Amino acid sequence: MSKKTDSNSYTIIFSVGMVLIVGSLLAFLASYFKPTIDENKRIEKQQNILYAMGVNENEEGSVTFISKDVVGENFSKYITKQLVIQGGAISENDQAYLIDIKKQQTLAKEGEDRLFPLFIGEKDGKTFYVAPIRGKGLWDAIWAYVAMDENMVIQGAYFDHKGETAGLGANIKLRFFMDDFTGEHLLSDGQFKGIDVSKSNNDPKNEDKMDNQVDAIAGATITGDGVSAMIKSELRNYVSYFKNLKTN
Amino acid sequence: MEHIELFFKSIFIDNMVFATFLGMCSYLAVSKKVATAVGLGAAVIFVLAVTVPLNWLLDQYLLQEGALAWLGSEYAEYDLSFLSFIMFIATIATMVQLVEIIVEKFSPSLYNSLGIFLPLIAVNCAILGGSLFMQSREIPSLGLALTYGVGSGIGWFLAILAIAAIREKIRYSNVPPALRGLGITFIITGLMAIGFMSFGGMLTGGDEEKKEKTTEVIVSSKLEKSTEVKKIDINEKSDTKEVAENIKEIEK
Amino acid sequence: MGLLSKKDAKLITDPLTDNNPITIQVLGICSALAITAELNASIVMAVSVLFVLGVGNVVISLMRNIIPSKIRIIVQLIVVATLVIIVDLVLKAFAYELSKTLGAFIGLIITNCIIMGRFEAFALGNGPWKSFLDGIGNAVGYGVILIIVGFFRELLGAGTLLGFKVLGDPIEKTGLYAIGYENNGFMLLAPMALIVVGILIWVQRSRNPALIEEN
Repeated sequence: MSKKTDSNSYTIIFSVGMVLIVGSLLAFLASYFKPTIDENKRIEKQQNILYAMGVNENEEGSVTFISKDVVGENFSKYITKQLVIQGGAISENDQAYLIDIKKQQTLAKEGEDRLFPLFIGEKDGKTFYVAPIRGKGLWDAIWAYVAMDENMVIQGAYFDHKGETAGLGANIKLRFFMDDFTGEHLLSDGQFKGIDVSKSNNDPKNEDKMDNQVDAIAGATITGDGVSAMIKSELRNYVSYFKNLKTN
Repeated sequence: MEHIELFFKSIFIDNMVFATFLGMCSYLAVSKKVATAVGLGAAVIFVLAVTVPLNWLLDQYLLQEGALAWLGSEYAEYDLSFLSFIMFIATIATMVQLVEIIVEKFSPSLYNSLGIFLPLIAVNCAILGGSLFMQSREIPSLGLALTYGVGSGIGWFLAILAIAAIREKIRYSNVPPALRGLGITFIITGLMAIGFMSFGGMLTGGDEEKKEKTTEVIVSSKLEKSTEVKKIDINEKSDTKEVAENIKEIEK
Repeated sequence: MGLLSKKDAKLITDPLTDNNPITIQVLGICSALAITAELNASIVMAVSVLFVLGVGNVVISLMRNIIPSKIRIIVQLIVVATLVIIVDLVLKAFAYELSKTLGAFIGLIITNCIIMGRFEAFALGNGPWKSFLDGIGNAVGYGVILIIVGFFRELLGAGTLLGFKVLGDPIEKTGLYAIGYENNGFMLLAPMALIVVGILIWVQRSRNPALIEEN
């Protein structure tokens, strides 16, 4: 290193220069890619919601969404109504699927009345109610789209995560886990019980759909607990909506 | 109380070394002598205790989406989180530089024995990991961020202290030549990690449902005893497609 | 390898064995343990490190004469962080699914001691071409260990490789499971990664006694 690089003034000039160059490079790239990335996120949400409803291209054991080019039209076709529940009031909003659940949860923590989106879809004569939920896994956030019928029996679910461990917590996205939820009852004798991701369920083919339990994933205890907690605390909020559905 | 729970959680359950394997490089290289390990561990506690709260402030008021609202409402839209890494690293590097100067002044012998690993604290996954976890787990207050930083540091310190003590002791053991040094350290650390898994039963349950789960038997694994191979009982329920395992440590 | 001189070729082959970043230099351990429960993830990580280390080594080497000595480490960190963020942004825009797999590892790449270690040990003192080779060599050495550990952990822990059930179906009891074999779920847990690496070190030093540490 030549003497010149040791002087304080050089160091300062260099740092400032570096910060400016790196800062502007990253800011430029971030804003340049933002529209594309946001679009990808939007499409993904649509794909996830349709997936939970059963509108997907699943083969053998894979998770395959409707392709990006047709997702827009499929979304309008299958999703008939998008509701937003706030406080006691229900309103319609066809951009409801874009609501950021993370922000809503923060609002709720601050004591505000948060929004609860609910997407209503129709397929083969059946009505699906899809709710977006969010929770905490081991490392970072986990979220899901849960499709239910009017009795809060799960018709399909899609789970995702930000940073769970590959091969362990990340396996909540795999068919064998998500498929377990289909047919599971959230209610028990009219009471909301949620679903427990449990190590003692011992029902690998998930034949018992009324036990409010599914098998846990080996090595992914905390992620599994996160899923249970997420389902319990989030879906509980929709119980009054479904109760009202029944009485109307 | 929240703080106490977070404190114990970050030392034992989310232990930086045994649960998330952060900071392994310096951990493995510096743990040959207890004295150096203590020095490095103390430095790590200090750096974590300072950088996690500092980065929390940065995240709250600069980086998060909507964080800049205090500047004016037109700035509320900005999301500078992509700069998180760089800003966190900058605070960490600065802090480490400070620590380096202090250590050199007050204990030149420690400074020499730590060598390259003192400045390498800046890259230590544990330090950056501490700040990143603080951000992703959305720790809500400055006080909790401080608790988390100190707790994580102490957890790391305990780990490196334990392994250094064990390594000093096994210098007189008959380790197979090819396993000597690095190899046996890996295996011992693995065994200690298994031991620490027993803490997972402590303080389980989410925020709302604290008392619902029954806590598993907490095996107090005295760290000095970890050289004995623990008998691990692995029950694999044969029908589960996701193998639900029970790992019980038989030691009372 | 007609392109590379003998010395240059050594830059690539040394880290594969005698100077392996994980088993000898003791670098890059964190990620080697954290993501090797699945072979697929190990491969993705290895490729990402290959890219970041290769390009990073070249960038640092090109900058080596203008970096002020006082903020050397910070500058290196910034270069790595910037490269990784760029990779993340590009993936998010053009290969969204893949970026989600990688997203978790981004933080791990930045603090991967191998990258900083090679910057310090090599790129700061050598020309760009040699630094590139050194970067590639170390990344491959790292990748090899990752893949071996990932291979064993996924195979013994879940009975699959790259997601494909290779030992039969554990629920339907076909293949190996028909005779009573069970997955060792424990292999999926992190402590076993430590032990597997320990065994790899054992094997490596048994084959090359020159690497054995004195007592």
